[in-house]
Parts: sequence; C-alpha cells; structure tokens
Amino acid sequence: MAISFEQIEQHLKTEALKLLESGKVILVLAYGRGYDANHPMPYVAKHPSDVDNIVFNEYCTANLARYLTRYPRRTKIAIAVKAADSRAVVQLIQEDKVCREDLVVLGIPVYGMKNFKTGEVIDSKTTGGLYNPVLYDILLGEEVHGQPVSSPYDVLAAYEAMDKEERWAFWQRELGRCIRCYACRKACPMCYCDPCFIDQNKPKWGEKSPESPGNLMYHLTRFHHLAGRCIDCGECSRACPVDIPLYLFHKKVAKDCEEMFGQAAGMSIGDKPVLVNFRVDDSDKILE
Amino acid sequence: MSFEPKILGIACNWCTYTGADLAGTTRLQYPQNIRVVRVMCSSRINPSFIFRAFQLGADGVLIGGCHPGDCHYNTGNLYARRRLAVTKKILEFSGMEPGRFRVEWISASEGNRFAEVVREFTEQIRDLGPQTKFKISQ
Repeated sequence: MAISFEQIEQHLKTEALKLLESGKVILVLAYGRGYDANHPMPYVAKHPSDVDNIVFNEYCTANLARYLTRYPRRTKIAIAVKAADSRAVVQLIQEDKVCREDLVVLGIPVYGMKNFKTGEVIDSKTTGGLYNPVLYDILLGEEVHGQPVSSPYDVLAAYEAMDKEERWAFWQRELGRCIRCYACRKACPMCYCDPCFIDQNKPKWGEKSPESPGNLMYHLTRFHHLAGRCIDCGECSRACPVDIPLYLFHKKVAKDCEEMFGQAAGMSIGDKPVLVNFRVDDSDKILE
Repeated sequence: MSFEPKILGIACNWCTYTGADLAGTTRLQYPQNIRVVRVMCSSRINPSFIFRAFQLGADGVLIGGCHPGDCHYNTGNLYARRRLAVTKKILEFSGMEPGRFRVEWISASEGNRFAEVVREFTEQIRDLGPQTKFKISQ
C-alpha cells in the first residue's frame, strides 16, 4: 500500500475546515507552502479561508508540537501530527504544558517522509518502526500495517562499537562545527525553557562563543535535559545548518533510559517522565 | 613532579558531609586531593555542575549521598540516582573515561568508608592521569 499524500492533504483540509467553521478550535497547526513545493513550512490556519493554503507532502517533516507551548492555556488548537510528533504531544501533556481537552489531534499515519535537504527517506533513522500516531482524535487515512519494523536504535550500533577515544574524536569533530545558531533548540518541541540555561549570565553555565568548550557544555547539557523526554523526531538534526547528527546522541540517551527505567518517552498520557519519577527498587547497578 | 589529581567532591549535608566530618574528628587519614562542596541533598546537584567541573580542570568528580531510603527529604536521592545514572551514560558516550565520575552512598556514621572511598578514588584517578578532554585550555 503506497501512501497517497494528496489524499492526506484532502483529508486534512476537510477536517480543518470542519473544525474552524464549527468553532471547535480557533487555530489549526498544519503545513503550508514554502518557497517551493519541496520546502513546506509550518502554517497556522485561523480562518476557514486559510484552509486552502494547507499542503501535505513527503517533505513535511517539521514537528508541529513545537508550536503548542507558544499559545496560552485554554486556547483550542487542532494539530496535525505524524507518528513521532504525536509522541511529542503526549510528552507535553505528561509534563502538563498543554491540556488534553484543549487539543484536537489530527493523526497522520505515514511513512516514506524525506529529508528536504538530501531527499533521503528518514524512516529508519528516526521514526524507527512507528508509523501510526500513538494519540489522535481523528485519523486521516488508514492505519499503516505491514511496513518493515526496525528498532529505532539500530543506527547506533556503529557508534557504540567505537572505543572512547574514537568517540571523543568523533564528537569533538561534530560539535566543533556548531555555530551556535540554536536552531536545534528552536526546532525541538521539548525545549521550551525560558530562558534556556545557556542564555543565563548568572550563573554562567558555559561559554557562548561558537568554540569547542562552550559547544560541548551546551550540547551535553541539552542531551541531559532531553533525557527520557526526547521523542526521536530527528528535527534537531534536520534543522541544523551544519548537519551535526545530534539525533545519534539523543537516541543513545533514549536507549539508555529505556534500558534502565523501562519506559520510552511519550508513549502514554498516564506515564510520568522518567527523570521526575523513581522506583524504590531502582538498582544501584545503573550507577556503575 | 608527580601528578596530584584534583578531585571535586559534592557531598550531601545530612549523610556524606557528616560522614566526612566524622572521618575528620576521628583523625582518619585520607588524601587531600579532594575538595568537598556541601549541598543540602544529592538531588540538588545539577548535572551541569559536573560537566562544568571537568571543564574547569577537575580530574575526577565524586558524589556522595545518603543510602537510598535514608534521604533526609525522603526521596531526594532516589531522583538523584536516576539523574546521575544518565549523567554517567552521557559522559561515557561523549568519550570521557567513565572512571572519572563516581557516585557513592555514604551515611553519617560511615567515616571509615568515606576515607576509604576517597583513597580508592584518588588512586584510580592517579592511574588515569590528568583529565585533558573537557578541560578548557587557558
């Protein structure tokens, strides 16, 4: 079964129009046309007449959950989510950043999404076998079944096999290229702190110039802040103008958290994020 | 000159710091390479403290807290256990030697154990040599 992006677009438009006309929501977060068809942008439809501008194609990778926290509470929002994005919505609900009642989640079961920079299919890299949204009110299209399911952590194997010197050299090289534009932080649905720790001057946590020590501090702390919360959408690496594979580190931390605490981020509204939770019988072995 | 490691100790006020006090009052000998900072609870420790300590030239970081179940605030060290476990994994995956970071549960009555852990950890860091990876060169 091939995914028909036109059909999803049609569904999306119909549902958005219904919701806006009935007044159930005051805005719909979806995708709009960018400077060409291969570069869609996040788009906010506020009037029924805006609905015509909504598009959906294989390059619509942006995670729209990023924009949920920008609106005040009690704003009724409809949001279009793919599989990973729906986990972001669940995670934000767990963290009490948005209310479930305020949201109408338009789930998009989809595979074969492509990186708009390279045209490469991103399924195996980031969505890791999850093709259907974990939370939705309205499903646009039919659930996807029969697609190859791989572990989201398979891509890590090559990096885990490196010894520590190689890994250090690898991350020094990658993080050394960082220009500190903070696009990763801007694109991330879980990075909503205001101010971000790296923008603080008292205490000053790290250097702000785009040089190795400050970059290391910024990225390591960011990986730590997203531990057990990163939902593996891979948007940070796609947003990165110098293509640092940040998703690898995030995946590694997510994998460790899942192994140690037995829970993946954003899978169920009832869960608590692993680092604000504990079990009395957590093993001390995790510290060795 | 032989290498003398610089170790940052972060100790919880109620257990490890009191334990260190006990080690002192009972005149136990332990290496003076450790500099102890007192915090009210091991869950007070922001992981950035650890990254920052390594950047500012620490060769090792030793964290002490109450035994799980004995926390003065009931659950603080249970949160800290999870958090510091993640810190450890992050340090490891970034390429840092895992032996430079250690978490120990030391109670207020374990002055002996505090001295012993510090001795052991100092030896371990001495073997690993100076920490150069994170350190910001002046």
